[in-house]
Amino acid sequence: MDREPLFRRKTSISYKTEEKTVMRGYDLSELAEEGYSFCDALFVLYQNRIPTDNEEKMLKYEMGVFMEHSMSPSAVAAIGVSAGRPNLPCAVAAAITTFGGVHGPGAAHGYMMNKYLVRAQKEGKTLDEMAKTLVDEYMDAKKPVMGMGQPQHIDSDPRAEPIHVKHEELELTGVYLEFQRAVEKHFHARRKKEGRSYVGVNVVGAGNAALTEIGFAPNAAWCLGSVCRGFSCAAHALFNMKKGRAWGASRNEPMVQMIDLSMIKYIGPEDREVPTQDERQEYAKKQKEEGEYKKWVI
Amino acid sequence: MGNLGDKKGIGNLDSPKMPFDYSKREYGTVPLDTKRAPFQWVSEVAYKNVHRIVSRGYDTTEVMEQGYGVVDMLFVDYQARIPLIEEEKMLNYVMILALEDGLSMPAAISRLVAKSKTFLTQACGASILAFGHAYGAYSAFGNRLEEYLQKVDEEGKSLEEVAELLVKENLNDEALGASSLMLKDPAAKRMFARAEKFGVAGKHIAFTKKIVKAAQKISAEPVDLDMLGAIGATMMDLGFSPEATWAILAVTRSFAAGAHYIEEVEREEYMKIGQTLTPKEDYDGPADRPVPPLKDREKFAKPALTRTSEEWKKAFDERKKIYGSGYSIVEEIEDPSKKSGIKKVGKL
Repeated sequence: MDREPLFRRKTSISYKTEEKTVMRGYDLSELAEEGYSFCDALFVLYQNRIPTDNEEKMLKYEMGVFMEHSMSPSAVAAIGVSAGRPNLPCAVAAAITTFGGVHGPGAAHGYMMNKYLVRAQKEGKTLDEMAKTLVDEYMDAKKPVMGMGQPQHIDSDPRAEPIHVKHEELELTGVYLEFQRAVEKHFHARRKKEGRSYVGVNVVGAGNAALTEIGFAPNAAWCLGSVCRGFSCAAHALFNMKKGRAWGASRNEPMVQMIDLSMIKYIGPEDREVPTQDERQEYAKKQKEEGEYKKWVI
Repeated sequence: MGNLGDKKGIGNLDSPKMPFDYSKREYGTVPLDTKRAPFQWVSEVAYKNVHRIVSRGYDTTEVMEQGYGVVDMLFVDYQARIPLIEEEKMLNYVMILALEDGLSMPAAISRLVAKSKTFLTQACGASILAFGHAYGAYSAFGNRLEEYLQKVDEEGKSLEEVAELLVKENLNDEALGASSLMLKDPAAKRMFARAEKFGVAGKHIAFTKKIVKAAQKISAEPVDLDMLGAIGATMMDLGFSPEATWAILAVTRSFAAGAHYIEEVEREEYMKIGQTLTPKEDYDGPADRPVPPLKDREKFAKPALTRTSEEWKKAFDERKKIYGSGYSIVEEIEDPSKKSGIKKVGKL
């Protein structure tokens, strides 16, 4: 049996011999035998350290509250992929890869905070002053302030404030929560001044403030959230695989299915004749000259 | 189901900081919204009914019966038009050149996935994920081309001036389109020659040529047009957007990834979990150390908490030394719905 490594690379994360697997210096079996949790191990993996009790509790809370979110883009992706009945991991992978610029953009929020924290330092401003700068700069540029607003939980994300309060209860309030709270304060004040409706903090704003506070870099925090969501999306995919109809188009189901033909609304070019090959070149030239097609180019 | 009435005293949920009364939150799903049109899958691209599939107005079966093919269909789907014969030929040329690249990343990923006894489609799908803003960076390349070409129109600068500016600002970027990769392989330049021969070369190829010249002027090492620049510019002269190019070429390569999957399965063995060793000599992390007793956790734990900007900065710099922590990476991630998402990705 070939047991050679697939890649010859240096790594400071782990090594593995025939006797043991060691991550950041700790034998994984010993870590587990000693009673540390999976969340503890995530600190060792990303931060090379054993966390305090409260830090571990914070991570456990954040991941627990983030894992399931019913129908959001990630679950929809998992369900959509599962309709074709591939191997389950395909549906899970699709779910995790929905996390991008606007769905659970944990990394972006973290980078935003770090950028402004660096500026606060350089410009000698307090966190409160810099939070106002952030809000003004984003809102002046008509860009959404990351970490605020949720399209489904319009009265405020029910996970968000409890995360903040847990963050405080665990006595983990540091630079990040202070800054995030200040961002929220200035955001609310500006919207109020402009006569706009209340938009609460979302799970990214609250959760990411907590994750960064306990030492996770933006990408690490993003990974924790997105991959954790993969657990629940797998459940949604499995439910549909075991109890739903493949394809999602059956006319025998009592409810109209996801991709029933009647679910399609087409707003593209009018139906038209396909040109013959004899007509093709003239037809194609005319189409290019007229340029009407350009409005449909994606 | 028990008492689902008002609930008080659960954890922190009675805190006055909560945005609404958590004890009075309703159960149950939201009733159907009958004031708005019911949900439908809205598309400009295609529709189907019981008897037809129609893309951009053309019945796809009729398109094929009329002698068109899949390459023509790419123009129909992405551009809503029938291509000129020369355009179809050029896209065929590009796709052939883009199909295979030896044991490069998409093939390697496909082979790794194959070793786990998966469906072939998992390996093909994984290979597509290798296309980012460095490898196969057609989106980054194309959007930059568009951005700088706008300066020609808006700022009245010449193509040469703008090309020089682009190179000055992006010389070491992976998505420049000019590099030392193809100094001995004429394939990239032959692609431009073919586009010119077919009469489909336009402003993107012309601009890319200027970029190559500008890069050759200031680069410390010899550089020339590379495959990214050749394919990216040609595709845009064929009318494809940077994003369409990215998708079409990633999928094109995935066909080859399928072959790599098959060969891997045919010639090699599957891998079991735990089979692959990582020799200690490849590990440069902390030395082996005893796991501290759980009861002594607080003695050993180093809290991450920082309370002032100065402490935060110090801790941040310290964490950069830990590979795998993510502290040495910075990204700017924007709403990708219009363009290509991550604009800048890289190390600090």
